[in-house]
Order: sequence, then structure tokens, then C-alpha cells
Amino acid sequence: MRARLFFKKLGNFIVTEEIFEDKKSLRSLYKYFLAGLLIRLILLPFFYQRDLLSTYQRAAETVFAGNMGADIQQMLTNIIHSAYLFIIKSIVPAINELAPILLEKDTWISWLSFNSSYNVFTALALFKIPYLIFDIVCMFLIMRLSFDGEPGNKLRVFKLWAFNPIVIFVLYIFARHDIIGILATLVALLLAKKDRKYWAIAVLSFGIALRFFPIMILPILILYLARTKKDYVLLSAIGVSGLAVMELTSHFYFGRSVIFSLLNTQHFDYILSSKLELIIHDRIFIFVVAYILIILSFIHIRKKSFDLLLNYGAIIYLAYVSLCYFHPQYMLWVVPFLVIIFVRRKSLLYYHWIQFALLMVILIYWGDLVTKFVFAPIDHKFFVYLTSIIPFIERFYNAAKFVNIFRSIFTGVSLWMIYLIYQDNKKLAGNESIGNRPEES
Amino acid sequence: MLRGKKDFKLEIIIISFLTGLILLIFTGCSGISYIPGASFGYFIWEEDGGISVEWSAERKDVAFEGTISTDGEISSYRLKEWEEDSDVINAGKEKISFSTTLGSEDYSDGFSFTPINYTYLEFNLRINGEHELSRINLGGFLENPEDNVFRVGENYFIEVEMKPWYQKRPFREFFHKLFSNKYFTFLYLFLMGVVIIEILRVTVIARRKRKLMWIGISYTALFVIEACIYFILRFLVR
Repeated sequence: MRARLFFKKLGNFIVTEEIFEDKKSLRSLYKYFLAGLLIRLILLPFFYQRDLLSTYQRAAETVFAGNMGADIQQMLTNIIHSAYLFIIKSIVPAINELAPILLEKDTWISWLSFNSSYNVFTALALFKIPYLIFDIVCMFLIMRLSFDGEPGNKLRVFKLWAFNPIVIFVLYIFARHDIIGILATLVALLLAKKDRKYWAIAVLSFGIALRFFPIMILPILILYLARTKKDYVLLSAIGVSGLAVMELTSHFYFGRSVIFSLLNTQHFDYILSSKLELIIHDRIFIFVVAYILIILSFIHIRKKSFDLLLNYGAIIYLAYVSLCYFHPQYMLWVVPFLVIIFVRRKSLLYYHWIQFALLMVILIYWGDLVTKFVFAPIDHKFFVYLTSIIPFIERFYNAAKFVNIFRSIFTGVSLWMIYLIYQDNKKLAGNESIGNRPEES
Repeated sequence: MLRGKKDFKLEIIIISFLTGLILLIFTGCSGISYIPGASFGYFIWEEDGGISVEWSAERKDVAFEGTISTDGEISSYRLKEWEEDSDVINAGKEKISFSTTLGSEDYSDGFSFTPINYTYLEFNLRINGEHELSRINLGGFLENPEDNVFRVGENYFIEVEMKPWYQKRPFREFFHKLFSNKYFTFLYLFLMGVVIIEILRVTVIARRKRKLMWIGISYTALFVIEACIYFILRFLVR
């Protein structure tokens, strides 16, 4: 009896009470989970983008060479990867054998040696397993964000995440670690939904320290959670505390500023990449203007429901990829918000698939490293000497123009998605019963 | 509705056919597939008793030069897309030497020749003055020579053509990695098998009687498949 109660509680904890109580939904969820897992397993050992190796090379610097400051810009991410590398190197001899390759300073030599090593598939599968775990946790967390009392819709959210092309591409073909920050963001949102305002902002602050991207939704989360002036001050302070701790740690331990180092990277310039040149030194950064408009429109909504908050999250990240230069993995940040909106507005799902198809063309921007070299573990020589896509396009048409046409279509589709979400906002604002935050007593 | 589906299928067939045709036109209907102006390197193959030697670069200034000699006789030769005045070819009875430069408008050059009564052909090919062996494709993509000055026998090109697909790149390397990392490969296949059996259990097997028996059969089949894959991989990498 106790065991039964325990498993019931465990089931409720993992898949939510609504789904656990409904046998049909539970079976469907298990089916989706298995099918999603199978797709992920198929891709796990064979593909990666060079950055995965760089991430583990920095972790190897920490684990094998004891250099704690191998990656001060992503200190927490490096700690997570280092801890994981330390564990797997102790268990799997193949990882120890790769130590000289991971510690090799020459990026081209290390890349070639890694791809040509006989155990490259083992290493890749092991390197991606943390992302698989974080992804699975996200899969189960995300359905708790919305549609309470609606097991069918919760199940749809689960399915949309499990089979999302961007999630699968970024985590299992591209192999980037954004999912760690996304998990922190989802936990923060879940806490916000349950009105644990300080915890929500604290976790988001941790997410910001992990990957910086959640900072974009920090203002709307504060606006959603704060009730008094004191709240605004406290939540803002907690919100930037993660970065402050990182700054202090890097200042005292490594004698360098992490914030200024981040601000001076080209990645920060991406935010300012689209601009209107006025006269002399005067220019307007388009994304900054759009971001301010989004925040102001959120401020002016009287009844801020949780679903509305999620919609605004989607709008912010869609505006980012629409108007700024971005790396393919940044697209992952919009997915947690979109999968919930897809259930209400199915047409957005079709646009999302168009976005994915266009992203595959925009990839050409970054050349061989993100196109044919992704397949290099299978046979690096074949993919190094295979005709590249850019010269192939250049043979017939200007490659930059070709890609930019698709980039422009991508921006058009993304802006249209923002418009559709804006329409959904109006519907949500009119329907007070959906997911309103509990009023403070 | 039915007619619509048929039309759609017909469209797919026509598009596939046209795509194949375009690829054939741009890569040549025989020999090694390469895209002039996009592929980079030498492409050498045998066709109707003649040897074709062509080279291509990614629309940038690249010098291709070399010599081909034989212990037999070169009965004839023919130039292909030889536009530049500065491109030079000297053809004797036993030796052909050439020196050309490709550029932004000159995608590829080449020639073909017919050797007779020979036992070998000796090649000395350079790109920008260097011997880039990985860029010399002899009878197939990435069938590279091992020495800067290399010889191929009379039957070399037939032997390359006869090679089964699994001994060609990228399959050869892929199967080799899978086989040399056996423990991982079989654990990986086992995990995938378990997931597939679970999918079958909650879908197909759930509707059948004697569920346990079917699950038992599935796992037996998984072990048999793993054993078969072991022997297949051993055969492929032998």
C-alpha cells in the first residue's frame, strides 16, 4: 500500500497529476517520450559543431591542468562541464585517452585528432548526455507552465517539445549547451507561476550567470511579480546578483572583470547589429528600440496573467532573432515560450517549421564549421575535402545575397509570428480566467 | 482528390528527374562527380580506353601544373575548356606536361589522352607548386595516391570501379570506427533496441494476447540482430 502511494506520488511529481490519473494520456505521453528519446539517441554519437569540443577543452583545462579560469565568461557552465568531465574520465578510460587531444592548443590539430580517434562516437555520446538529461527535465517541466486541468493540452506541449526540430538540431546535431540556461529559466518561470517571487528571480539570476540570455526576460518577470515599490527594488537587486557574484569572483580570483569582458565580446555587439544611421555619430539601435517598446507595452497591461508573460517572453526572443545577428543555437531560447503558444495558435507551429527550414539555409553564413564539418566524426577526411556549400552557391549566384534573401524571409516570418502572438495577447487579456496570478492577500 | 495525389507524385518524379539531370550535366555523366568552379583538385578517370585529367578550383587564382608519362605511347590527346593563352600543354609520344592557371572566370581545365601498349602511367601533379595528394582523386573521390610522384597500372581504374560501396569513403571510415569501438557500438544499439521494443510494447504488443511472449521474442530478436551486426561489421571492415 505504501509502495503504491509512493509510486503514485512519484508519478504525479514527474508527469503531473492530471496526466497520471488519465491512463490514455499517460500512455500517449510515454509513447511521445520514447519516440522523442529514440530520435535523440539516433543523433547522439555522430554529429557536433566545433564549439562542443572547445567547451570540453576548456573543461579539460580545469580538470587535467587545474586551470580554474579556463572560461571566466561562462564560469558556471565551465564548472558544470568540468565536474561532469571529472566524473566520466574516472569511469570511462576512453575519455582519459582523449586528454592529450583535449589539451591540444592548436584548434585545427585538436579537431582533426578528435574526429579521427577511434572512440570519437563514445566521446560524443558522453559529452552530449548532460544535454540529454537537461532536455528531458525541460520536457517534463514545460508542460507544468500552462493549461492546468487540461491534460490534453499539457500532453500537446510535451509532444511539441519532444519533437521540436530546433531542440533536436541545437542539442543533438549542433550540440550546444544553451539547454542548461533554459532549464534554469523554466524553473524560474515555474516558481513565478506559483508566485514564489524571490525564488523565481534568484533562479533566473542564476540562469543569467549561466548564459546571459535570460537577462532579456528579467524586466518582464520583475514587472509580473512585483506588487510594491520594495518588490521592484529587491527583485531588481536579486536579478542582477548572479552577475554581481560572477563579477566579484572573477575580480578577486582572476583579477579580471567578467562583465566588461562580456560587453567587449562580439556577441554583445550582435544585439546592436541592426541600426539606423542618422548623421555624424548619431544612430539608433533597432533591437533596443523594439525591446523598449515590448517592455513598455507589457507595463501598460493592467491584468498581467502568466500566459501573457510567456507570450511576451516569446515576443522578446523572436524580436531578437528577427532583428539581430544571431548564432543558430540562440533560436533555442524562443522554443520554451513558443511550444505553449502553439497549442492555442496552431498556425504558429507551421511558421516555426518554416523558421527551422530557413535557419538551415542561414547556417551557410558560418561556413564549413557549421555545415559539412558537423558530420566530420563519421569520416573527417571525406567532409573536409567534400565541395563546400559556399563555393557551390558562388558558382551560380552571390552566396551572401542568396543567404541574405533567406535571412530576410526569416525575419519577415518571425515578425509575423510576433504579430500573431500580439493578437493572442489581446485574446488572453480579454479572458481573465486564464492563468491569472493569484492576488496577494 | 485522388487525381491531385497522382499529380503530386508525378511532380515529385519530374522534379527528381530534372534534379538528377542537372547534377549529371554539372558533374559530367561519367567519371568522378565534381562541380567546376566549386570543387577543388584534380579529377582523373578512365573512359572508353582514354584517360581524362581535369582540375577545378573555387573561382580563385590557382596554378595547376604537372607531367604524365608512360612506358607505352600516347596516341592522341584532346583539350577540354582550354581558354587562356597562358595555359600551356606539351604533348610528346611518352609524356604530356601542362601548366595552367584557373581564376574567377575560369572554372576548370583538363584534357584526355589515349595511351596504348603501356603497363603504367606516371603522374607528377602539383597545385600552386605543392603536391597536395588529398586533392588528387584517382578514379573516385578521395582515392588519393600515396607518393608525390605516383604510378598507376593498366587495370587501376577498373579495380577502383569494382570496389564495393562499403570500401569507399565515408562508409569505410564509419564502419571501421563502429567496429573498432565495439563495446560502445553494441551498448548503443542495445539501448536503441530497448527503446524500440518499448515503443512496440505500448503500441503493437499492447493490443495482442500473450504480451510476455511477444516481449520475449522482441528481446531475442534484438540479441540476434546485435550478433548479425557484429558479423556484418566484421565483414565490412575486413
